[in-house]
Amino acid sequence: MSPDLATALREETPNAPVELRERVTRIAATPPPLPRRTLSLRRVLVFAAPVTVAASLALALAVGIKTAAVPSKPATGAKVANLERQFRATDQARTLAPAPQRSAAVPAPSGRRAQNVQANLRILVDDTGDLSAATQRALRTTSRLGGYVLAVDYGTPEATEGTATLRVRIPVSRVQAAIVEFSGLGRILAQQTQITDVQQQLDELTRQIRQAKGGKARIAALRRQRTALSRRAAYATVAVDLTTYQPQKKAASPGRLDRAVEDATGILAAELAIAAYALIVASPFLVLLLAGLAGNRAYRRYADQRLLERA
Amino acid sequence: MPNQRQPGVTGRAAVTYTECVSDLANAHQSFASTAEEHLDDVYRYLLYVTANPTTAEDLTSETFERALKRWSRFDPKRGGAQTWLCQLARSAALDHFRAEDRRRRREERVAEPDRGTEIELPDEFGPVLRQALRTLSGAEREVIALRVVLELHTQEAARVLGISATACTTRLARALEKLEKKVRPRLVA
Repeated sequence: MSPDLATALREETPNAPVELRERVTRIAATPPPLPRRTLSLRRVLVFAAPVTVAASLALALAVGIKTAAVPSKPATGAKVANLERQFRATDQARTLAPAPQRSAAVPAPSGRRAQNVQANLRILVDDTGDLSAATQRALRTTSRLGGYVLAVDYGTPEATEGTATLRVRIPVSRVQAAIVEFSGLGRILAQQTQITDVQQQLDELTRQIRQAKGGKARIAALRRQRTALSRRAAYATVAVDLTTYQPQKKAASPGRLDRAVEDATGILAAELAIAAYALIVASPFLVLLLAGLAGNRAYRRYADQRLLERA
Repeated sequence: MPNQRQPGVTGRAAVTYTECVSDLANAHQSFASTAEEHLDDVYRYLLYVTANPTTAEDLTSETFERALKRWSRFDPKRGGAQTWLCQLARSAALDHFRAEDRRRRREERVAEPDRGTEIELPDEFGPVLRQALRTLSGAEREVIALRVVLELHTQEAARVLGISATACTTRLARALEKLEKKVRPRLVA
């Protein structure tokens, strides 16, 4: 641009006429209106954001303190109650909860009904010497009671530590005596006994054999089935785990403050999850809204430009 | 250079009634002085945009009425008073053009199409410049007014126009090129 043109533009452009100057002076002389307190989006956000955060924290803290005040029930108690309910619900299968104890409480199998009996014992012994002696004693007990050994797994990976796993079959009539003797091998860490009634299946097979009108082969097959079931029911399967490894002590139950903090953290995490979920759900709509606003703004600019182009 | 001397009421908490009244009095005084200082700038800008002295005068009054109402919201940290007033003036001018556009369309439905507003630049402009400015669009005259006549910086002019600094520079270059093409042969002649 030439300096002459710039100078001409500046010099030839007139200033405001006197009438206009007076009009504006009158406008400026009027007292300005009091500033209005408008509730803009920014103000709402500035207020709402800390209030929301404070409310979330307060809620989490309140719930944490409230729940921490209520003493928590031991989990094992709940499990036992649940198992007892299961036990009452069915007479076909009975499962007793594991309970570390000195002597085993063995449910007696029914003498008149055919039942599959399975027992698991986990027993702590002092050292590898005791482990060896206990294993031999268990094997002798099994033989003495008329049972037999299915499997033995004996190992001492460390000089002072080791485990022995025995899987034996004991006549059902002597399983109680066997478990009592096994429990004397050391300290019982866990015990589980499961009794499943198979008398109904046996009766059904007997009925089918009596009513069978087919060939001998079918009757023979049914008889084989019944015999196998009876044999299985005649012996109980007992699994004995002997170990020298001390069970890990349970972590001390958290104090009231710890529980309050834990609960409050949980509530905060849940609140954050809900917020994230809401954001994910709302994000497409927000994107659409923002795109709409941006489009509207761009259109207004374009329209303004067109107006000025025509002016 | 833009004027950045008078703060508005924005950002200040009026603690007592006396302080509030004092703030308002100061704000009023500062608005009066600002209006006096920038009246010519606003009028000249609007004269270029509208190319009509009467319309420019009306819009200048309108601009200062709006400015008085919004003076409490003026924040010198975000830009000078000159820029702020030019933004208000532009908004007033666009409102005027929109209203004119609507009026013209209403009239076209029942009558012969209007030829549009005649460009009536005042006699203070020389005949050469007046003739050359008539060939420019409102947008082109606007950027010349902001950058050459009012001598705003590129950033300030871009803020008034609502475009980037680069776009502002490009628009100015094209407008001046067009103006020079019209002015130079006549000046030579």
